[in-house]
This record gives sequence, C-alpha cells and structure tokens, in this order.
Amino acid sequence: METGVGARIGVDIGGTFTDLVLSDGLGRTWFHKHASTPAQPERAVLTGIVDILQRADLRPDDLVEVLHGTTVGSNTLLQQNGARTGLITTKGFRDVLEIGRVRTPDMFDLQWNKPAPLVPRRLRREVTERIAADGSVVTPLDEDELCAVGADLMAAGVESIAICFINSFRNPDHERRADALLRQRLPGLAITASVNVLAEMREYERTSTAVVNAYVLPILQSYLQRLSDGLLAIGVHAPLLVGDSNGGLAAARTAQEKPVFFISSGRSAGVVGAARLGRVAGEEDIVVFDMGGTTASASLVQGGEISRANEYEFRAGISTPARFIKAGGYMMRVPTVDVAEVGSGGGSIAWIDDGGLLHVGPVSAGADPGPACYGLGGERATVSDANVVLGYLPGDLAGGGLHLDIDKARMVIERDLARPMNLSLEAAAFGVREVANANMARAIRAVSVERGIDPRDFTLAAFGGSGPVHACDLARSLDITRVMLPMMPGVFTALGMLTGDVERHFLTAMPGPLNDLNTAALEVAVTALRGQAEAALREENFTTEQMSYAFSLELRFEGQDSELPILLPDALDQVSLSWLRQQFLATYEAIYQYAADDAVEVVNLRLLARGARPGKLDFRDVSIADTDTPLRVAGGRKVYFGRGHGWLQTAVLDRRAFSGAAVGPMILESADSTVVVPPEGRVRGDGLGNLLIELTGETE
Amino acid sequence: MAMEIDPITFAVIKNGLDTIVDDMAYTVMRTARSPIVRDVLDYSATICDAQGRILAQAKTVALHLGAVPDAMAVVLDEYGDDLEPGDVIILNDPYAGGMHLPDIFMFKPIFHGDAVQGFAVVIAHHSDVGGRVPGSNASDSTEIFQEGLRIPPLKLYAAGQADRSLFALLRTNVRLPDMLIGDLQAQLATCNVGERAFVNLLEKHGGETLHHYFDALLDYGERLTRQAIRAWPNGRYCFTDYIDDDGFERGPIPIVCAIDVQDDHLEVDFEGSSPQVKGAINCTLSYTKSSTYLGIRCALGREVPNNAGVYRCITVTAAEGTILNPRMPAAVAARALTGYRVVDAVLGALAEIAPDRVMAAGEGGNTVVCFGGYEGDSQIPFILVDMINGAWGGRASKDGIEGVTNPSQNMSNMPVETLEARYPIRIEEYALRQDSCGPGEYRGGLGLVRQYRLLADEAVLQLRADRVKIPPYGLFGGGRAAPSRNILDPDGRAEALPGKLTRTLHGGDVIRHEQAGGGGYGDPLHRDPDAVGQDVADEKISRTFAAANFGVILLPDGFQPDRAATAACRQRLRLARI
Repeated sequence: METGVGARIGVDIGGTFTDLVLSDGLGRTWFHKHASTPAQPERAVLTGIVDILQRADLRPDDLVEVLHGTTVGSNTLLQQNGARTGLITTKGFRDVLEIGRVRTPDMFDLQWNKPAPLVPRRLRREVTERIAADGSVVTPLDEDELCAVGADLMAAGVESIAICFINSFRNPDHERRADALLRQRLPGLAITASVNVLAEMREYERTSTAVVNAYVLPILQSYLQRLSDGLLAIGVHAPLLVGDSNGGLAAARTAQEKPVFFISSGRSAGVVGAARLGRVAGEEDIVVFDMGGTTASASLVQGGEISRANEYEFRAGISTPARFIKAGGYMMRVPTVDVAEVGSGGGSIAWIDDGGLLHVGPVSAGADPGPACYGLGGERATVSDANVVLGYLPGDLAGGGLHLDIDKARMVIERDLARPMNLSLEAAAFGVREVANANMARAIRAVSVERGIDPRDFTLAAFGGSGPVHACDLARSLDITRVMLPMMPGVFTALGMLTGDVERHFLTAMPGPLNDLNTAALEVAVTALRGQAEAALREENFTTEQMSYAFSLELRFEGQDSELPILLPDALDQVSLSWLRQQFLATYEAIYQYAADDAVEVVNLRLLARGARPGKLDFRDVSIADTDTPLRVAGGRKVYFGRGHGWLQTAVLDRRAFSGAAVGPMILESADSTVVVPPEGRVRGDGLGNLLIELTGETE
Repeated sequence: MAMEIDPITFAVIKNGLDTIVDDMAYTVMRTARSPIVRDVLDYSATICDAQGRILAQAKTVALHLGAVPDAMAVVLDEYGDDLEPGDVIILNDPYAGGMHLPDIFMFKPIFHGDAVQGFAVVIAHHSDVGGRVPGSNASDSTEIFQEGLRIPPLKLYAAGQADRSLFALLRTNVRLPDMLIGDLQAQLATCNVGERAFVNLLEKHGGETLHHYFDALLDYGERLTRQAIRAWPNGRYCFTDYIDDDGFERGPIPIVCAIDVQDDHLEVDFEGSSPQVKGAINCTLSYTKSSTYLGIRCALGREVPNNAGVYRCITVTAAEGTILNPRMPAAVAARALTGYRVVDAVLGALAEIAPDRVMAAGEGGNTVVCFGGYEGDSQIPFILVDMINGAWGGRASKDGIEGVTNPSQNMSNMPVETLEARYPIRIEEYALRQDSCGPGEYRGGLGLVRQYRLLADEAVLQLRADRVKIPPYGLFGGGRAAPSRNILDPDGRAEALPGKLTRTLHGGDVIRHEQAGGGGYGDPLHRDPDAVGQDVADEKISRTFAAANFGVILLPDGFQPDRAATAACRQRLRLARI
C-alpha cells in the first residue's frame, strides 16, 4: 500500500447488470453498466474493465487496484450449487446442523418448508472426542476414527469438509488437531475448522457458520482464481481486493480462505460509500436506503459510524426485518453491516388479498418479464407501473434504451387494483406507492427505532435505480426532513467499493464477571490481538502509520444472552471497571429505558483492525467524465402528488443541466435513475455532485 | 358514526402495529436473564386496545394469544376505573385470568391525554415461582396450593412507584429471586418499548382515527375468517385424541372435540372429554379456548391477522369440572400438555373439513425436563428448565418437518454449550431419532433424542412427557409414529421410566428422552420408493423399517429401490391388510 496515485476500478456484480466505476486518481470518474454473465461472472467483469479503460483512454497498467463486490457467495447459497460438503462433529451431535434453533418464521402455517441443510445427514459423521464446558478433556480425540471418517467422506465424493466439536470455543485442541490431520491425509480437500471462522459459544451458530464457509469455499476460491488469472491476461497487474459483508476490503486470498465473511460482499459497499460521502458532505447521521428491482434495503450510519451486527441469516427469499427469528435461513455469525431488507423494489407486484387488503411484493416481476410498462410480457401491476401512471417515471428512460408503455401500465392497475378496490386510477396507483413505502419504512425502522434510535434526526441517503424515485415520500413518512441523492445513484455501490478500507476482525473470549476483570489481563489480551492484527495487515503491505485499531469489550448483565459492545479508548489506562460499567449502563438504558443494578459480565474482546488505503475515493473532487449521451431537452409533464395536491404540472430536467436551487415539484432525469422532488421540497446541488432536498410541512 | 376507512392508511396502521410487537419481542430476547425466556423464547408480546381487544401479537408463543382476552377482562374488571399512567399490573393465578403459575402476565396501560388508549401485554415463563418442586411445573401436584405463589391481579408499580411489599413477597417465595426479578425487568422494558411506539402511533394518527382503524382491523380479521369458514361444508365433525395419563390414574384421558360448521361460524364443543383429574394437567377454560383458536387458525390461511376479530367467529364450550374447565383447587402446572392435545383433537376434526390445511399429529407437545438442586461446595441453587421440540406430522403434499417447534408455540432450543456452561449437566446426545416417524405417503418428521448426565451430587428430576402409551395419530391411511420413551442409564441398567415423573437423581445418572415422531399422512404404500431410498441413505429410517412399513426393498449395494421386489412386497402388505 505504498502508492496513493493511480487509477482504480470498483466493480459490483448485480443480478442484471455488472456495474463498474473507474476513477483515474485525478478526480475524473467514468461509469459503465455491462450485462451480467451469471454462468461465468468474471466475463462481464473483464470485458467491462476493458471497455471502461478504453473509454477513459487508460492502459491496464495505469490501474493500481481493482476493488470487487461479488454476489458469487450469496448466489451459491441462493442456488444451492456449492461444493459437496461433509461435516464432522462430536459423537452424538451430527444433527445439530439440521435441528437448528427449531423456530418457524411464521406462525399458524402448517405448510412451511424448512430449508434443507447444506450438508445432508449421510455426509455428516461423528467422531469420539469430548471437551467439557470448562475446556477440560472428557474423552480424547480418536485419531484413527477421524482419519477413517475423513477417508469415508472423500470416498463419498466430498470436496470440502467442516469440523465442529462441542465446546471447541473453550478448548480448540481437538479441532485444530483434526484440521491438521485431515489436511495431511486428504490433500486437495478444503477443510474448515469451526474455531478458525468463529471461536464463540453456541454449537448451532458455530456449526452453521463453518458449514457455510466450507460450502462456498471451493466455488469462491475458483471464481477469484479465474478472475485473477483473467486480470493478468488483460494486462492488469494491480492487486485484487474483495469487499466483505462488513463493508471492509481484504486481499482476494483472505476471501478464498474464509469466504463466509464475504457472502454479502457488494451490498455492504454501498453503505460504506454512503458513510464516506456523508463525512465529506458533513452528514454524520444517515439512513442509507438502497432500492433496486426486487428488494430494498436500509442501514444506519450514526456519528459517521456504520451500524453493524454480529450475525445474520441468509434466506432464500426475503430477509424480514424482525430480528429475533431464527429459522428458514443459513445462519452465519460473522460481522456484517446491519442491513434490513424487504421485498419491495421497482418490480414488486401489487395485489389484493381475500379480505380486500392491498399488498406489494414480495413477489417480483424481476427483469424478465419485468413490469407491465416494459412491454416485455409482464401482465401484473408493479411499483414501476404505478410510478409511470403517476408521471414519476418518463415515457422512455433517459438514453432512449427502453420505452415505457404508459397505456399498458394504466390498464393493469385499473384492472387489478382500482376496480376491485373501487378507487380512481391515480388513487390506486398512489396506494401502491404508499404501501411499498410503508414496507420499506419497516426496513428502516428495523435498523433505527428497533435500536432505540429516532430516524427523524437523520438524513436519508438514497441510491439504487429506484431509490431517488421514492426517497422523498419515504422520508416524509418517517418525518425525515433531509434527503441526499448522490451522483451516479444507479452505480453507487460500485463507487462505494472505491471508498473502503482494508479490515480484519479478531476476537478473544474473556468470560467472567466484570468485577473480576483484571486490567492488566485486559492489556495483555489487547496486546496479543494487536500483534495478530499487525502481522495480518503487514502481510497486506500496510505500514504501521496506515494501521488503526478499534477494540471493544462485549458486556451484558449476568445471565443475559445478548451483549453490547463498549468501545475501549486508545489509552487503556483510562479504562477502569467503574468506567466500563458506566458506559455499559448508559448504552443499555438508552436502548431499553431501564438499567438494573445487577452484576455485569464480560463475554469477548473484539478487535476491528483497519488498514487505511491511500488514494481511496473521498468524493471531494469527483466529476463524471461522461460525454456520450446528449443532454435532454427541458420540458414538463403532469405528475400526481397525492390527494392533497392532485395532478401538478411539473418541470422535467436533465440532472446534468441542473444547478443552483429550486422548489418542487420537479423531476430530474439521468441515465441511471430519476429524482422526484415533491411540491415544496427545496432541492439544491451541494458542489460535490449530490442533490440535497429539504422537506418541510406535512403533505401526503 | 362510521368513519370512512381508507385502504392505504389501513395498511400503514396494520404494519405499524406489527412492527410494535416485533420491537417488543426483540426487547424481551435481548434483556431477559433466564435461558427459558432468552434462549427457549417461552414468552409472548401483545398490544391490546383500550377495551382489551388484541390488535397484534408478535411471532412468539402462539398459545398465549387466546388466553390474553380472559386475562384482560380480569384486569379491566379489577382496575378498569383505577388506572394511572405508570401503573404496571401483574398476575399469574390460573383461577383469575392466568394459565399456570410460572407464566406471569404483565400489563401496562398506555395513556395519551387523560385516557387509557391501549395496553402493552407481555407474558413470560419464569424459571421458578416456588411451590413443591423446583421449576413450579410438576405434573404430579394435586392442588394449586402445591404449585407455587399465586398472584392475583396486583399493581407491581402504581403511578410509576414500585410496590416494595409485592417485590419483597415475590423474592421471598421463589427459589431464584434474582432471575425472577431480572425477567420481570425484561418484561417491564418490553412494556415500555411497546408504550413508546404505541404513543407514537397515536400522535401520528390521532386517537379517534386510530380507534376507528382498530375496529376496521378486527373486522378485517373477522371477514377473512368468515370467508374461509364459509368455504367449508356445513356439518358436525368429531375427533377424539388421548393423553396417556395424569401420572396417578391409568388413563387414557380422552379429549373429545366436535366442530359444528354453521355457514360462517364454528361451534366447538368438548362434550365427552375427561372429568378433571388429580394430576396437574387440568387446563383452564381460557387455555382451552386458546388452543382451539390456534388449531382453527392453522387451517385458515396465513393472511388472517393475529387479532380478536378471529374469535368472533368461534364459540368454544367445555363443561365445568372437566379437564378442559377445572374447578378450584385443581392443579394446572402442566396444562400445556392438555393444550397440545386439544390442538391435536381440533386438527383431527378439521382433517375432514380442510384436509389440505392440516397435518397428522406431531410429537404431542414439548417434553419438559427439569433439574433442580444445589451445586458445588457453596451449594448454589440451580434450576434447569429444558424443553425438547419436536416433529410435525405428514401433510397433504409433503413430509412432516423434523427438528421444529410445536406449532402451538414458537419456541427455540437451549444450545448445548449454553446449558453446559450454566448447569452441572452434560448433554451426551442431541439428535434425530431413527425410525420414529409415522409411515405415510408423506411421512411424519423424526422425533428427537436428548440425553443428560448429571454432574452434581444430587438433583431432583421432574420430567413431563406424553405419547408414551398412545402415539401420535396418522391421517388418511398414514401410520402412527413411534411412542416416546424415558430411559434411566441407557448404557447400563436401561430402566424404562414412566412418561411423567419426579425423582431424585445422583451424580453420574443418565437420563435419555426419545421423543415421538410425527404421524404419517396417506397410504405408506404410495410413497415414492426413491424418497424411501433417500431416507435410508440418510439413516433416518432403517432398511427394515422401509420394508415393513413402506414395502420398499432397496438394492443390497446401495439405496436404489429394487423395483420388482418392492412391487411384490407392497402387494404382500396390501393382501395382509384384508
């Protein structure tokens, strides 16, 4: 990490498009959308890179970094096409993975399908060994049995093996030994010992995390290998960094070893980008809102810090924001940006249930056939159809790529919604928007109100193709008064890749009462973790000055199961037991409105180590070097702004032609998205390419 | 005066209420102390309107839902005109709105302006409320006075001030006072979270508007329910299921359910069910109603909201003095078991009405395993309340699920590592139980095995299992599942224990529970032979079980069915039925 200058590319693979953003290090930026190639995702990346370099008139050698967000991990889980994986457990516990936490995501639904475990029972084997709860050995590891079981699994065709023993988080000796033995006896097989990905209590969570890692490992490994080889083949020698679920970056090699940390690779990059953009723009408290074709997600940046969680479940379908559900997904206990996702996107289908209630989603028309207005065979009313009927979306998308069929949109909304609900066409269409907004507001509440945080003091930063179309209405429904719409909202995630730091996570268990915590012992643990982190960052060529460390101590009331992280100050001598206790009580009370005077206990010491990338994009001096498409002629059309306003004649401008300030209603169109400024909304550019909209007064 | 109901505002308010109860449920989990609440999730969170009608319930223990209306009625009766901001009321007395003593209900009236606008309600299962047996959950008590501390509806806080006498009384009468108080605080935090969110909703929409929409919400629940019932054929449908015994008498104990479909209304009558029994499995009428609603609710479809509108369409009758409506001082601690069987009987009766909505009987309800004793040199008391769940029966187009909560609850399990870290017990096995499923075209789920070794010198074990004598039923030709078993020292003397027991164990004793699986659905001889082969490959069933129950013979060197041998075997089994 020596050089700060040079060109960098951020690449984000999505379902329909692979987005690329190129920054030349001198303030000029190009963006490019290339059709994704799901069978071999690296193909779109590589052709995309060649194309965008050509447009920027740069050579492959000018690149100093390639930063990548990939859906290979999540798609592998979604499509269940991971490696044939085996699992080795303590005798008596091979079914922990399948039993799970036994909850169901919905009540009263006897037709529920529990997802099949990633490793079927026939490939889950047991060995004789046992560690007690205090870490002592009850039964030694039977090494012969282990080797026999390993050979057996290999004969059954597994490519990858996960090992998880009961209480290994207390004493990892047996797991480490098994790991070493299997590597030695079964070269060529991928081996994941659970303590190497998660050294924490709770056997299901640890087993599942190890299994996801093992399941995805060969796939992600070979994908990143093909991508690295492909980059060399087109003359790119710059290092490849991959985004992790926590919004950090890591060398491709790390992603190849611990892929479970990289499952939500791309999604988190947008949040990191928004946080960094906020810092530059002076917005420290941001609700980050990303709305695409099938889902919308929300996340929180508070005081400049991204809100994070320590576990999540990957579901085939939609993650509901109800956070206490443990069912229906593949559990991963890894650090992740705390993102709530709901099934509301431009393609979400609107429908009426038997009781007459209007719903939007979670079924989506996707990109094919797409909304009815696309005219590609879609026959059902979607959010985008409602937006076309109401005048929010233009008759043809900027750039002329796609013509939107307004009559078709009107027809399906009239037929499927307005008539059955006995509403006017625009009331029905507006209703679709409002229900979709209510769903999306739920995702935002899940990451804010549920944490005891009031979103009203926040700025809503919206991106994704549909984000800027809904942002202002959504903000109003949550009483948020400031909306920020970044430049290039449609490829913002790829842009976000350019803004990240390298991050590594370390953890050590320190179970015991807080009152017994010895600050000297804490200091020893801190030093040990820092040593590990430093070695890891040094391996990625960071200098000491570029490294920074955030230690937190996870505390809870004795007997509880959920911890709160308390950030430790840099100078450990300021840390006293009473200080820690006070910090914990204050944090706890802020969330739950009470704090007990009970004993507090320590669970883990956690370290987030960062390597600051020189030359990362900071939004201060970015301009879109895109002259391909001609400016749109300014015009106007009628747009429906709810029962209070009705249809209003609304100015329509090319976003690139907008400068200064204006008062809505107004529509600003660009190649990748459409910005809707509602009546009385005051919009202005901020000199950094963002649009800021101030909302005042209550309207519908 | 009818206010116009705008469908959009309606949806927004409905989502708002669902979010409030989500927030509440999450708060309990984050703040509770006892593993039974924070790991097993034996609690529920509800928002009621000012009249005590349920508006929304979180996805927590389902069977608590139907008991809230009766409890609310008791609270309103007692305190309806005596409520102030900051009041918090608790109760647990089964004969005054409660279910069984460990479940403490907490109600916080929500004020806006001068008037009560609604209630935040949180029910949590406490680890111990005193009485004869640690855990206050024993099935072999014979009167309510043995079961623990009874709390009539009392103000724990009056206008924000804690009632110190009540707190002192609670602390003095339970085995683990800190844990009880800690969990009460979690309930209180949850009420506060619910209150804060509900007030926000009031401020946003205004009390009057909101209450009109609440009415509309309940009407909506009623409308969906009536629509579903109207599609069912009129007539009277009966089903009888059984509880093995009450731990005293021989049994079996019949639960007789008759559902009368009358256009868009259901009359559910339990005439013919057992008189109240000596053991603690008597079930209060409120819990009987709750269980009945739940069974019916499962057949209605997922869109039906969790609110009081649903109950308007269902009338439940159970004669006083029966196991489903006992008289004081009948013991009720293990009433959950009877609730499970009510659900099983209701689903059995519904099988004829809506065969594609029900399932064959599941495991019969969670098995409760309770260890209580003193640990180490300083003799620190411990009480483990562990619950084993479960398996679903086969369904009209798919197999039953294994490793799953009973649909009457929505509980979780206690991680083995959490359990071992906190209690002097080692878990030696936690696994699926081979061959425990009921055979069927769609087989039942496998039951679970959980094996405990006591590491302390001595402890009192209290175990409640059922389906030991009368295994879960199958439907439409599907077979019964394997019965449950309790075994002491399985690798040594292997003593078979009864289903329900309280006894002293000594250090090194091993208790093994093998849970019943789920019943089968449809003729097992119609099951896809390849599916049978897959189950054998996964060691979920044995080759012997496959041949005897499904008539499927696999090739000796793999898991492929031998088509000819299978056809012959099935033919033999068919002939043997005649």
